Amino acid sequence: MSLLRNVASGLRSLFRKEQVDRELDEELRGYQEMAAEEKIKDGMSRKEALRAVRLERGNLEVTKDTVRSGGWESVAHTSWQDLRFGLRMLRKSPGFTAVALLTLAIGIGANTAIFSVVYGVLLEPLPFRDASGLVLLNETTPRVGKVSVSYPNFLDWRSQSTTFSQMAAVCEAGFNLAGVSRPESIGGEAVSANFLSILGMRPFLGRDFEASEDKAGAAPVVLLSYALWQSHLGADPSAIGRTIMLDGTGYTIIGVLPPNFRWTGQADVLEPIGTWLGKNPDAMKRGDRGDMPVLGRLAPASRFAQARSEMEGIAARLSKEYPASNDQFGVALTPLRDAFVGDTRMAILSLFGAVLCVLLIACANVANLLLVRGAGRTREIALRLAFGATRKRIIRQMLTESLVLAVLGGVLGVALAFAGTQAITQLMPPGLFMGAKVNLNPAVLAFAGILIVLAAFVFGLAPAARSTKPDMQRHLKEGSAGTGTSTAESRLRASFIVAELALSLILLAGAGLMIKSLHLLLSVSPGFQVDRVLTMEMDLRTAQYNKDDAIRNFWQNVLDRVRTLPGAQSAALGTEIPLTDSHSRIDITIEGMPLPKPGSFPHPDTHAVSDGYASTLGVPLVRGRTFTETDNENGSRVAIVNAMLAREYFPNGDAVGKRFIFGHPDPDKAPQWLTIVGVLGDTRMYGLAQPARLEVYVPFRQAPKSHMNLLVKSAVDPAAMTSAIRAQIASIDKDEPIFAITTMSQLVSDSVTTRRFTLILLGLFSGLALILAAIGIYGVISYSVAQRTRDIGIRMALGASRTDVLRDVLALGARLTGVGLLLGLIGALAATRVLSSLLFGVRYTDALTFTAASLVLLVVSLFASYLPARRAMRVDPIVALRYE
Amino acid sequence: MGDKSSDVVQGTLDMLVLKTLALEPMHGYGITVRIEQMSKGVFHVNPGSLFLAIQRLDRDGLIKGEWKASENNRRAKYYALTEKGRKRLNNETREWGRQAAAIARILEAS
Repeated sequence: MSLLRNVASGLRSLFRKEQVDRELDEELRGYQEMAAEEKIKDGMSRKEALRAVRLERGNLEVTKDTVRSGGWESVAHTSWQDLRFGLRMLRKSPGFTAVALLTLAIGIGANTAIFSVVYGVLLEPLPFRDASGLVLLNETTPRVGKVSVSYPNFLDWRSQSTTFSQMAAVCEAGFNLAGVSRPESIGGEAVSANFLSILGMRPFLGRDFEASEDKAGAAPVVLLSYALWQSHLGADPSAIGRTIMLDGTGYTIIGVLPPNFRWTGQADVLEPIGTWLGKNPDAMKRGDRGDMPVLGRLAPASRFAQARSEMEGIAARLSKEYPASNDQFGVALTPLRDAFVGDTRMAILSLFGAVLCVLLIACANVANLLLVRGAGRTREIALRLAFGATRKRIIRQMLTESLVLAVLGGVLGVALAFAGTQAITQLMPPGLFMGAKVNLNPAVLAFAGILIVLAAFVFGLAPAARSTKPDMQRHLKEGSAGTGTSTAESRLRASFIVAELALSLILLAGAGLMIKSLHLLLSVSPGFQVDRVLTMEMDLRTAQYNKDDAIRNFWQNVLDRVRTLPGAQSAALGTEIPLTDSHSRIDITIEGMPLPKPGSFPHPDTHAVSDGYASTLGVPLVRGRTFTETDNENGSRVAIVNAMLAREYFPNGDAVGKRFIFGHPDPDKAPQWLTIVGVLGDTRMYGLAQPARLEVYVPFRQAPKSHMNLLVKSAVDPAAMTSAIRAQIASIDKDEPIFAITTMSQLVSDSVTTRRFTLILLGLFSGLALILAAIGIYGVISYSVAQRTRDIGIRMALGASRTDVLRDVLALGARLTGVGLLLGLIGALAATRVLSSLLFGVRYTDALTFTAASLVLLVVSLFASYLPARRAMRVDPIVALRYE
Repeated sequence: MGDKSSDVVQGTLDMLVLKTLALEPMHGYGITVRIEQMSKGVFHVNPGSLFLAIQRLDRDGLIKGEWKASENNRRAKYYALTEKGRKRLNNETREWGRQAAAIARILEAS
C-alpha cells in the first residue's frame, strides 16, 4: 500500500513537476517568512531577520535541492536529463555517431543472428516431458560404428534392462500416399505403441496407439503430423476416423500429433511397429538391421553412466549368445538432446565464438572513438568537476551516453539480425537442424538486450573513468582545448588496438583453415563424375509389385522409356547411390578364404544396379567388364567388386573370375555362388571426408529391389529433363510417387553443407573483423599524427627528412601490429583447436594458414597506418608551428 | 522500524515529527519550533532534514498535508497524523522506551 503511494507520489513529482516544485517553493518560503517574522517581533529589521534565518537555517535553494533529491524520482529525473543530454551530444557529432552506430549494429546484429541459431539448436528445450531422461540407443560395430538395432535385440534389451523404465523402437518407414493429385512419398516412423508416452506427449487430436494395435495383423492405424494434417487434410477435425491410402492400404487416422512434435528424422506418419513388421517380416531376423534406433527413458533412480554399463553388459551377453548375428556388436547411448543437435554443435559454437570476437572488436573501436571524443570534452568535464559534480555523477552521465549509443546501435543490429536469420535459414538445407526453429524469439531478443547493456559497459566504462581522472584538471589551467593526451590514455588506446588485431588474427586463421579444408575436400575425387547427372528415387510398395517379375518389368520399362528421351545420354538404376546416406551392407564369404569369426567377415556395401550404371555415374572400370542386358534372371549369377575389395581380398591375383556368396557358409544349403566379372573404382559413399569402403555390385534383374534410384546423364541441364521423365514414368504407373529429385553435383554440394556454412559465416565475420581493426588502427594513428603535428613540424624544421617522419609513424603502426600479431597467434593456436572436427586434410596448427593470415593482417594494418603517415610526411613546418 | 535501525538520527526525527503532530496539525515551521522548544534547545532541526522527513512520512501515509490559512493569515501546509501514523507513533514510542531503558541499564551498570 505505502509502496504504491510512494510510487504514485514519485510519479506526480515527475510528471507534474512544476506544480510540485511550486508547492515546495511556497512551503519553504512560508517557513522562511515565519522564522523571519519571529525575529522581526524581537526587534530586527526585515533584512537582518532574513539574513539571520539564512544563517541559522541554511540557504533556501540548497534545502529545496535536498528535499527534491530525497525521492526515487530524482534518480529517474537526472537519468532522463542525462539521456536527453546524451542524445544531444550524439546529434552534435553525426560523423562519430554514424560510425559508432554502424559498428555496434554490425557487432550486435551478428551476435543476435548467430545466437538465434545457438538457441534454436542447442538451448531451446525439446518439447518433451523431462527430456534429460531420454536416451537414444544404437548398436555399434567396430567395422562401421553406430548402426541400427535389430528388432529381436531391442526386445531383449527391453526385457533385460532395469535402468530404463521404458523403451520404444523407432523405425524409419516411408509411405506412398495415393489418391491425391500427385502421388507422394511421405517420411514416417514405425514406432512401439508407447513412443509418445515415453516422450510425454499426447496427440493434439484423437488418441494415442493402444497396445492391441501394435501387433502384426491388427487393423492398420496411423497418427499424422500436424503439418501433414494441415497440408493434406485441410486441418479438418473430422479427419479423425477417416481412412488414408498409404502403400495401397487403407489406414484409419486415429489422431494428429501436436504442432511442436519433432523427431530426428521425417515423421509425418506414425504407424505401430507391430503392423509394420507384419509387412516387413525380414526385420524380425536378429541379423537384420534397418534404420531403427531405440528410444529409452531412464528409470527415475538411474543415471546415464549406470544405464550405459548395464546396456554394455546386456550387449556382451547377447553377442556371446548369438555370435552369428551379434559377434562384436556393442551398444551406444546418446542423450536425445545430442541426437537432435547432430554434428553441428562445434560449428555453431565456433561461429558464436567468432561473432563474440567481432563484437569485442566493435566495442574496442567505439571505446577508441569515445576516448578521442572525450579528449575534446576534457574542459567541459574539468569545469563540471570544479563546480562540484562528483566523479560518480559524471561517470554515470557518460555511461548513460554509452547506453544511448548501445541501444540505438542494438536496435539497428536487431533489424540486421532479422535479415540475418532469414539468410541463415535460406543457407541451411532444411533437414540439418532437425526441426529446430531459428528466429528472433523472446529469448533471442532478451539476449540482444543483455548484450546491449554489456556492450555499453565494455566500451563505455574505460573512456568514462578516463575522462574524470584528476590529472585532467590541469586542462583547466591550460588554455588550449585538450591537445595534450596523457601517456596513460594513449596506452589505453594502443591496448584496444592490440586486442582488436589479436582477435582479428584469430578469426582470420580460423577462416583460413576452413577455406583450406573445404578446398582440399572439394578436390577429393569422389570416384564418380557429378556433371549433368540427375537422380530421383522411387519405392514400389503397392501389392501389385510384390512379385519379382513385376518389379523387373517396371524398372526395365522405366529404363527403356527414359533412354529414348531426347537429351538423355544414358540412364541407369541403382539401389544405393553415393552421398545419400542410404546403404545396405551384408557379410560375404569368398571361395577358399579361411573362415574368420562371425563379426570379422568382409562386410561390403552392396548395390543392385542396371547395365550402364558405371558409365552413367562415371565410375571407372578397372578390370573385366560391366554388366550387360544379358546379366538377367536367366543368366549365371555375376557380381562386380570395387578396387578396394579386390586389393584387400585378392592381393596376389585377379579378382575377376573368383567366386563368393552372400552371408556365411551354411552346411544345410547349396552355396549360391556369384562370379566376379569386373572391378570398378572406389566411390566415396558416405561423404568426401570419409574413406572409401568395400563395395559389391550385382545386376538388378538378378536381385530385384522395389526401392531404387534412377540416374540420368543428360546432354543438357539435367533439371530440365525432370518433367519429361515424370511423364514417362506416369505413363507406366501414375500412382507411384517420384521423390528426392536432385543432381549428383547438388548431392556433393549438400554433403559439405555444414563446412560451407561455417566457412561462409566465418569468412564474413573475419572480413568484418579485419575492416573494423583497420578502421581502428587508422583512427589511432591519425589521431596520434594530428596531436603530434607540432612536434613533427619542429622536427622537420630542425632538419628531419620526410622519410624519417614516415618511418616514425609507420613504426608506431608496426609496433602495435607486431604485438597484436604475437598475441593473436597465441590466441589462434588455442582457439582453432575447436575447429578440429570441421577440418579436413589440415591440422589446426597449420603453419601456412597462420602465416597467410598474419600477412593479410600485416598488410592491411600497415596500409591503414600508411594513410595517416603520408599526411604526417606532408606537414609544412611553418604552418604546423603557426597553427598552435 | 526494524530495517532502519542503523539510521538512528533519521528514525528519531521521524518519530519526533510524528509526536509533534500527535498534539495538533502543524506546519513545517511550527514543527521545528515545537521540537526545538520541547528539547530545550538540545536539537536543532534544519529545514532540509525536516522536509525530507515530512516527504518520507507523507509518502508512507503516516501524515497528510493540507493547505490552510495560518494564524497570521498566510497560506501554509498543515500536516496531520493519519490513523496509520498514530499506530506507528505508539509502536515507536514503546520500542524507543524499551531501547532507551536498556541502554540506560547498560550505561549505569558499573
